[in-house]
Amino acid sequence: MPGFRVLLVDDEIIFTKNMSKLLKNRGYTVTAVNSGDEAIRELEQNPVDVIVLDLKMPGMDGITTLKEIMKLGLFTETLILTGHGSIDSALEAMKLGAYDYLTKPCEIDELVAKIEAAWAKKTGNL
Amino acid sequence: MTKESPISHNGTEPAEAPDVAVQRQATYARLFWRFVWLTILCSLVPLLLVGWGINLHYTRFARERMLNFFQNQVEDHRRIIAQFLNEHTSKLQLIARTHDRDQLIEPGALQTVFELFNQDVRSLTDLSVIGDHGYHLAYVGSYDLWSRNYSKEFWFTQVMEKGLYISDMFMGFRKEPHFIIAVTHSNGDKKWILRATIHTESFRSLVENVRIGGTGEVYLLNTESVYQTNPRSNAAIMDTSSYPMEPYHEGIRIRLLENLKNAQGLDRPSQIACQAWLKNPRWLLVVQQDHDEAFADVNHANTWTLVFLLLSAASILVVTVFITRHMITVIKRRDTEADRLNQQLLQAGKLASIGELSAGVAHEINNPLAIILTERQLLLDAAKHAPIADSEFQEQFSDSMNQIDLQVQRCKRITQNLLRFSRRTQSMIETVDLNAFIQEVVDLLEREARSSGIKFFSEPDPGLPPVSSDPSQLQQVFLNLITNAIDAHDGKPYGSIRICTRADGERQTAIVKVADSGSGITPENLNRIFDPFFTTKAVGKGTGLGLSICFSIVKRLGGSLTVQSEVGKGTEFTIQLPYTPPKELQDSLSAKRTPITAA
Repeated sequence: MPGFRVLLVDDEIIFTKNMSKLLKNRGYTVTAVNSGDEAIRELEQNPVDVIVLDLKMPGMDGITTLKEIMKLGLFTETLILTGHGSIDSALEAMKLGAYDYLTKPCEIDELVAKIEAAWAKKTGNL
Repeated sequence: MTKESPISHNGTEPAEAPDVAVQRQATYARLFWRFVWLTILCSLVPLLLVGWGINLHYTRFARERMLNFFQNQVEDHRRIIAQFLNEHTSKLQLIARTHDRDQLIEPGALQTVFELFNQDVRSLTDLSVIGDHGYHLAYVGSYDLWSRNYSKEFWFTQVMEKGLYISDMFMGFRKEPHFIIAVTHSNGDKKWILRATIHTESFRSLVENVRIGGTGEVYLLNTESVYQTNPRSNAAIMDTSSYPMEPYHEGIRIRLLENLKNAQGLDRPSQIACQAWLKNPRWLLVVQQDHDEAFADVNHANTWTLVFLLLSAASILVVTVFITRHMITVIKRRDTEADRLNQQLLQAGKLASIGELSAGVAHEINNPLAIILTERQLLLDAAKHAPIADSEFQEQFSDSMNQIDLQVQRCKRITQNLLRFSRRTQSMIETVDLNAFIQEVVDLLEREARSSGIKFFSEPDPGLPPVSSDPSQLQQVFLNLITNAIDAHDGKPYGSIRICTRADGERQTAIVKVADSGSGITPENLNRIFDPFFTTKAVGKGTGLGLSICFSIVKRLGGSLTVQSEVGKGTEFTIQLPYTPPKELQDSLSAKRTPITAA
């Protein structure tokens, strides 16, 4: 059910730019940031429905960012997007409360399906 | 049947460069000879020294004993002879002093004295009283000497001068060897002589009856080297001896006589002689024996000592060579084992390094791939909103998009393999029935194999217990190995793959062998097949990571993967998998299972 808000957090600027366009093309409201700090600041001001979070980022990494997000106590679901090199971290993130994880490179349809599933879980929990 | 190559635990032979092998052989040879020489030095030298010492000691002891024997013989005989002569001299002197001449010449008186002398042993041949004119005054004996005048005889002069005279052996009027003891006494102005002729045989028996070995003899010589008794050698009493005479000396002397001649002028062997002078008469008592016979015991002992030493040395030499060879074989085996372990460490280290590198590379490649994929999707989205009018371009665009997707997926597979190789995947330890598990994998691949004319032969060990391991990773291992086995028959119309399992209860290990009848692997490739990215398959058909991943997985599960191969006959992979995974793997899994609560 497109229309809900998605926050993309990835240090790859071109990737976030492209992925934003693709998700917007599919009807989502997308905000893209390129670091964990930016993500926290953005979420504090504009909470979203689903967060797509990269794990390996300079500065605050994905796990730390996730912990900070969980501290905010937002009504949101987090999808982990990892470059495969850190499956263990992805699993750890799930233990911390992330909904699921995806490995790069992934098809847009695959990501959309996961976002939808995360949204469904969130709404199903209401 | 594949020929077994000396393949190490990690599947690679500790291949040595030829010069290294030659150097190592030279080292072994040096080591061999060093061991041999050292052992010989440490065992033979003490043996020879001890043998030589004992032999020297024994030789000296035996020699001294023999010389003591000779000395004792000489001493005893000198004493006996001297005692014999002294006894008879004393008796004659006693008779001369206690009897008047006229008493002795009375009929029967001298006969009585004579009989008293010979009462126990016959020691006198005859006894006579001779006046200062040289004629007999009385005579008892068996020779016809009554009318003989002795005033011109050498002994007569001597006894008249000295009062006592013991002669050498001489022939005299009786023309046979004999010697006399004569004493003088005076009754007023009448000086007379009491003369006794010693019974030659009785006297000689004191000396000649002694037997020393086969060549030993005892004899008496006068100062002119004339035999006073019969020697055993080829000579007779009164003959002149070739014995090298020495001037009178006190005590006993031992001499080694060489270059002696017998009576026939022939060479005699070296003699050991022990000599002592009698004071009166001046006779030389000689105890003599062939040197070789005298020291036969010593020579015998020397010979046997030499034989014993030679045999001992030969035994030591043989045992040394045997033991050293065995030691070198053990050292070679240990070296090979060490090489194998080094190779294993090297391979493990290489794989670990490459694993780390691979994980980093995979991650870095995945990001651009993700971007490429999003760019492609954007183009597709754009094309959807603004369709391309030119059909040819549309077709070209569509092909390019598909090709981008195809190549991205190919890159993705490579990075996924790299990540698997680097073990960035999660293990799940479960109980696995290997026989059933392998059969499932075989079932998966059997159709493909059958289409290539390849048959499977399974030989499961029914006694193989279930193992605790990671089924998903094991599946990958068996899939890789069996797929490789199928691919190994490329170009062959038919073939077979034999899979057998076996339980090694002693080592608590399951053994799985996957053998194919394919083309085999050349020795140079055999050393590299576990190296990442090494492949003999065509470009695009294999990443060269399959066996590296298998090796990596099996090693992580605590086992080993080895290979034997012969070109043209086939290849056999052997997996040894412990019934239970290593403790570190279990510990790491336990840690991961511990719930992590969000702060």
